Amino acid sequence: MTSAVADLAEFRTEVRDWCRSHVPVDWRKAQTGVPEAEYVAFQQWWFAELRAAGWAVPHWPAEWGGGMSAARQVVLYQELAAHDAPRLVLAFVSIHHAAATLLEAGTEEQRARHLSAILDGEIWVQGFSEPEAGSDLASLRTTARRDGDRFIVNGQKLWASGAAHADWCLLLARTDPAAPKRKGISYFLMDMRSPGLDVRPIKNAVGESHFCEIFLSDVQVPAVNLIGPENVGWQVAQATLGAERGLTMLELAERLGNAGFRWLVEACSERGLLGDSRVADRLAGLETEIAGLRALCRDLVERSEAGRAGPADASVVKLFYSELLQRLTGFGAEIAGLPGQLVLSKPASSGWESGAWVLDYIGSWEWTIPGGTSEIQRNIIAERGLGLPREPAA
Amino acid sequence: MTISSASELAELAEAREELRAVARDLLGKTRPPAAPAWSVLASSGWLGLEVPAALDGADATFAEVAVIAEELGRAVACVPYLGAAILGTGTLRELEPVQDTDDLLRQAAAGLALPVAVLSDGTPTTSPATADGVPFWLAKTPGGGVRLHGQAAFVPDAAKASSLLVLARSNDDGAPVIVVTDPRAPGVSIASQPVVDETRQLAQVTVEGAEIAPAAICRFAEDPRAAVRRLQDRAAVAVACDSLGVAEAMLDATVSYAKVREQFGRPIGSFQAVKHACADMLVKVTVSRQLITTAVTALAAAAPSSASSASASSAATTVAAMAKSYASDAAVEVAGKAMQLHGGIGYTWESGIHRYLKRASLNRALFGSPESHRRRLSTRYR
Repeated sequence: MTSAVADLAEFRTEVRDWCRSHVPVDWRKAQTGVPEAEYVAFQQWWFAELRAAGWAVPHWPAEWGGGMSAARQVVLYQELAAHDAPRLVLAFVSIHHAAATLLEAGTEEQRARHLSAILDGEIWVQGFSEPEAGSDLASLRTTARRDGDRFIVNGQKLWASGAAHADWCLLLARTDPAAPKRKGISYFLMDMRSPGLDVRPIKNAVGESHFCEIFLSDVQVPAVNLIGPENVGWQVAQATLGAERGLTMLELAERLGNAGFRWLVEACSERGLLGDSRVADRLAGLETEIAGLRALCRDLVERSEAGRAGPADASVVKLFYSELLQRLTGFGAEIAGLPGQLVLSKPASSGWESGAWVLDYIGSWEWTIPGGTSEIQRNIIAERGLGLPREPAA
Repeated sequence: MTISSASELAELAEAREELRAVARDLLGKTRPPAAPAWSVLASSGWLGLEVPAALDGADATFAEVAVIAEELGRAVACVPYLGAAILGTGTLRELEPVQDTDDLLRQAAAGLALPVAVLSDGTPTTSPATADGVPFWLAKTPGGGVRLHGQAAFVPDAAKASSLLVLARSNDDGAPVIVVTDPRAPGVSIASQPVVDETRQLAQVTVEGAEIAPAAICRFAEDPRAAVRRLQDRAAVAVACDSLGVAEAMLDATVSYAKVREQFGRPIGSFQAVKHACADMLVKVTVSRQLITTAVTALAAAAPSSASSASASSAATTVAAMAKSYASDAAVEVAGKAMQLHGGIGYTWESGIHRYLKRASLNRALFGSPESHRRRLSTRYR
């Protein structure tokens, strides 16, 4: 065995031991149907636990508390998934999108202020979509008008996941209404405690309310909170959005490949269906697709680390994962049958396949629609990946 | 061969990409289907990739063979590479080395002999999982001699064989052995089975009491059942590689066509119906490639000479089943979509798309259907 392989094996043992002593045995049951405040407290506690172990932000640069090799991160996520650890849901945007944006385009002051705050639990939300700007995000209408050393923001944001608990917002707003739509947008860091800001939760198809509307009326954002140059926000957002896809997808793929598939097999077993050749065939097909997804994610992480990721690679992974999740949870709902319809809540802090199959299935549209719908991903794959002609521009 | 460092791995990967570039160039010299002379393949070194250097081979692994298999699929090539260089040589490498098999490996690498493996009975319903599916057997005659009996259908490249490497049950202990059989010997008959895919040559091999010299009965070097399992995995993954090549060729052809073919005053590739279909083809090809890479790596590591464990070998069987079931299905869908997106021209004989669709369809059925491989996977759930 080479030293690199031995080192990884040792790390795997370390994570495994840690999980055995830190992942609460009964957390799924305890977190099913809990009030919002309890869920938030549980998320904060788990984030602090991971931080204490040094594993909350392994993907950040070493100087900010990360610096873990891609190979080790793969091991970390595999073991967390294998031991069915709670997921970091509340901090997801903070440690991934916000951090990537700050690291890629932030000033030294912005990084110093927020990266350490994120480690201390600062929660971020994305303020991108709007009622009239979904797939055509660049047509967004929220305006930010310069007024001396500040901007005055007016408009409405939609689908801001977790906005009710957020301290800060990654905000896209139009700063030059006269410019072509992609050239008049700026990117801001907005304090969610600013006056003029109203957050209203929207109940989603599953019955949860983590999506929010954000109403902005004359909200003041200091000009120092611009991220990247004025009117170049669209380009900054494009550059930072895909950057995190590899790792976040790796984590989800490992979840699917561990507890997710295990529960599906258990559900089939409980209903005495493992001997049914059609059921066995579909299970084996899903396991094969999951194996493909996991390999795809590991490969993307390695190539991203080496700077060799292609322009549509992240879209291929997102599209394949979303639709696989939908097929898998759909099959779970089918297997669960009528008894499955009795399951009315799923554990908070769990993955997208929680074992509450019908709700998981309904919830899978949260993957095929947000973050660029599957249709938009196919456009990106065809245009940027295969070089097919662009849609005629509107 | 054991790999010890990341830089060695990188060097090997680079060498494989060179091999791929050379193969694509050579096979792309004519319009598909490519039909290069066997002597050209020999002088390119493709026939001796897995043959030890001491026997004038390249001392490479299944990973290099997989590159050639994929490129042959991409060119829908008409060469007996599967039956001879992949399965024949692979079978010989599993045997206890003796002078005769060494000679055969040396000649095979040079392109002077064409030893073709006869490994399964070709019954479509037989799960490749059953090592009991050994289709031939040896029996003692009253006179003290030994005779070979049995039949196998759909044997790739048997009609061109200079010798047949027949998987048979030993008359001593019932263990699987390989019987090196002369295809022209009395009692041996080979009947071509023309199939829809004209780029492949399959045949039915029937042996009715052919006399076998003791020296022609070769024992496996290690556990014979594990060896048979490895050979069946190898066959399945080799076909999966071929399917990947077919699918890649069809994706490339379709994308090129969609960029230039205009209807309604626009390239058809600008329409979402076409563009989304192409995106789905790319996803299928990409996932196939990942599963195949995993399987090829596992099989290369599970080679008989390596110090691999039984669990590594069973893991190889699992990923081989995944690669074959997914990639061989995907190639049919991709080639079918390619024919659709080429429109009327794609349905013509002249366009050649049909060759890829037919080869993909044959590949899907060869060495275990996707269903049979998934059935094998599903036995692990209980």
